[in-house]
Amino acid sequence: VTFRLPPLLAVAALVLAAACTPGTGGGGGGDGKSFEFWSFSGINQKVSADAYRAKHPDVEVKLTEVGGSTETAQALTTALAGGKVPDLVLIQGDNLPKFVEQPQNFVDLRTLGADGMKGDYLDWVMKQSLAKGGEVLGIPTDVGGMAVAYRTDLFAAAQLPTDPEAVSALWPTWDAFIETGKRYKQATGKAFLDNAATSVFYQAVNQVSEKYYSDAREVVYDRNPQVRAAFDLGIKAATSGITAGQTSFEAPWSAGLAQGAYAAVAAPSWMLNTIRSTAPDTKGKWNIAKIPGGAGNWGGSYLAIPKRAQNPQAAWNYIKEMQSPQGQLEHFARAGALPSTPSVYQDDKLASLKDPFFSDARTGKIYTDSLLGLKPFYIGPDSATIGQEFLNAVINVEQSGGDPATAWDDAVRNIKTAIGK
Amino acid sequence: VTAVAVTLTPVRQAPSPPVASRTARGLGERLAPYAYIAPFFVLFAVFGLFPLAFTFYVALFDWNPIGDHVFIGADNFTRMLADARFWNAARNTVSIWFLSTVPQLAFALVLAHVLNHARLRFALFFRMSVLVPYVTSVAATAIVFAQLFDRDYGLLNWLLGLVGVAPIDFVQSTVGSQVLIATMVTWRWFGYTTLLYLASLQAVPREVFEAAAIDGASSWQRFRHITIPSLRPVIVFTVVTSTIGGLQIFTEPLLIASGSRLTCGTVRQCQTLTLFLYEQGFGQFEFGYGAAIGVALFAMVVVIAAVNYLLAGRIRADR
Repeated sequence: VTFRLPPLLAVAALVLAAACTPGTGGGGGGDGKSFEFWSFSGINQKVSADAYRAKHPDVEVKLTEVGGSTETAQALTTALAGGKVPDLVLIQGDNLPKFVEQPQNFVDLRTLGADGMKGDYLDWVMKQSLAKGGEVLGIPTDVGGMAVAYRTDLFAAAQLPTDPEAVSALWPTWDAFIETGKRYKQATGKAFLDNAATSVFYQAVNQVSEKYYSDAREVVYDRNPQVRAAFDLGIKAATSGITAGQTSFEAPWSAGLAQGAYAAVAAPSWMLNTIRSTAPDTKGKWNIAKIPGGAGNWGGSYLAIPKRAQNPQAAWNYIKEMQSPQGQLEHFARAGALPSTPSVYQDDKLASLKDPFFSDARTGKIYTDSLLGLKPFYIGPDSATIGQEFLNAVINVEQSGGDPATAWDDAVRNIKTAIGK
Repeated sequence: VTAVAVTLTPVRQAPSPPVASRTARGLGERLAPYAYIAPFFVLFAVFGLFPLAFTFYVALFDWNPIGDHVFIGADNFTRMLADARFWNAARNTVSIWFLSTVPQLAFALVLAHVLNHARLRFALFFRMSVLVPYVTSVAATAIVFAQLFDRDYGLLNWLLGLVGVAPIDFVQSTVGSQVLIATMVTWRWFGYTTLLYLASLQAVPREVFEAAAIDGASSWQRFRHITIPSLRPVIVFTVVTSTIGGLQIFTEPLLIASGSRLTCGTVRQCQTLTLFLYEQGFGQFEFGYGAAIGVALFAMVVVIAAVNYLLAGRIRADR
């Protein structure tokens, strides 16, 4: 076997060398109109790209769905470090700070005319893509907002109300939400919620006025009582027996969603698309209620143009047209992701839109309401790592029988090891 | 170790320079052999030697792939030695190696002994079919096994449920996840090891076995006193190769833990050293720290290779 190795290795190396030859396959060609676009899956950028293509037949949008949002950010990092970069890339909000810290890798969108558009977007969303020197690195495409999607048929079977007003009234607070879950569990013997980690902790921790960093940009995750309170809620839900213990977006979670293994799931606006495509047979069985605990936001993404992009102008043309308030409003009607441009929140097209998949829920109104009174907090370069470690700690209690009493201290210790502070 | 084997082999195979070259044939003739072997060495230098050397260099830096590279000396190494995650990964690597190597080698020994039996019918068929898991793609194996062992929808838990056992969450428990990975590794490699043993066994004259049988030795006695001693060198060889392979277990842990792949579970219950390296290098993009972990792995492989060299020397001396 060893003797066969060298030729094989050499062949593999040759193939590698051929595949890595630089300068081939320039993104979208040299006509300056076409461009290469990296997005992530589950967010349905395809409908936007198709709409743009339909309006501009001479433009070719080469859309690649790299993977999940994290994989896309990893691929982008690798590409920026020394590979072929796309002309346009979608970056999820949690992954953005690490890129904002290194603005030299991206086109300052002010040079293409972003100054004229900056004012169109929610101030706290726009701020997150501004670098130290005021460079505009990304244009926000959407915000999540917050809500709870629930199964009306399963709620009815558990003698719970099904009307969104009445359901929202069941849970003004997270404690009331957990109590509702216990009622459901008692009536049906089945899980109420997909999991405690994302559907409780991750929601509650995004309803705070200060999160892992203070407004002075200092790391405060270990001494911020609001984070601690959200974490304790997550642990309380995890140990209450009301969850299915399924990690969000994984295969068993998807199977459970389609099979009604749980009756409720925290659903920011972009999640509606996920539910629709994961469980198409459940059409009409869902409705949407208010999130417990008040205003907050989960998710939202940005479009950025890498510095070495070959067709920055073509990419910018796309941003300018599709991310204008009107463009985002149209995307909302097509795909359901909430616009980041407040000027359209009162627009009748948004306020009156009903989603038949979710029993004609007035999604536009529900999600814009969830942003009212939101208190923006600073998201720092280590926010994603800190959030992941806290999530892991809740999952460990929920799924692996970890000790709830030591969960907080364990999480804080793990974060200190990971980020060194 | 593989690198060394790879470099030396072509040298042995290269044609010896012609004797007459000193006179008329000239320089071209003398250089030709080197030109023949050059492609391999050039590629090896580019894809093997350079990355290896560069890893040692990067390990001395706080290296942000899209930002600054700050020289920090040995800080990555001191941090690593104080990092509980590193020792956890090292522990997991050793225990997964142990859980997979011991059953694998024992199983392969017995199987080779059986397959070497003189009266076995369809021997060729059996000998070839043990190799099937080895040619199956490791990713496919990992995905299928992860599904078999799934908590809610897995075949194994369904069978356990039939006899009244509550579902076991293999992936989320330390022992369960490591057993799952060890099972996959064993499944994948036992056939290859069996064939190595079998090949070596066939070099033992059949008369030895027959004479022992005539003298009244039982099958176990023949296994204990003929099979195992005659396989000693190849057993040492397989222990060493499986140890080096065990240090590199990566795909299986990466693919089984849903939700937290890079850590193989929320509390890193089955994260191996190579996966820890990958998490730090390509998940957190701490290239310097990832490189330092790579250097540590390299050191471990060198130590094991040295032990192998000494052991092999003693076995040769014994004979």
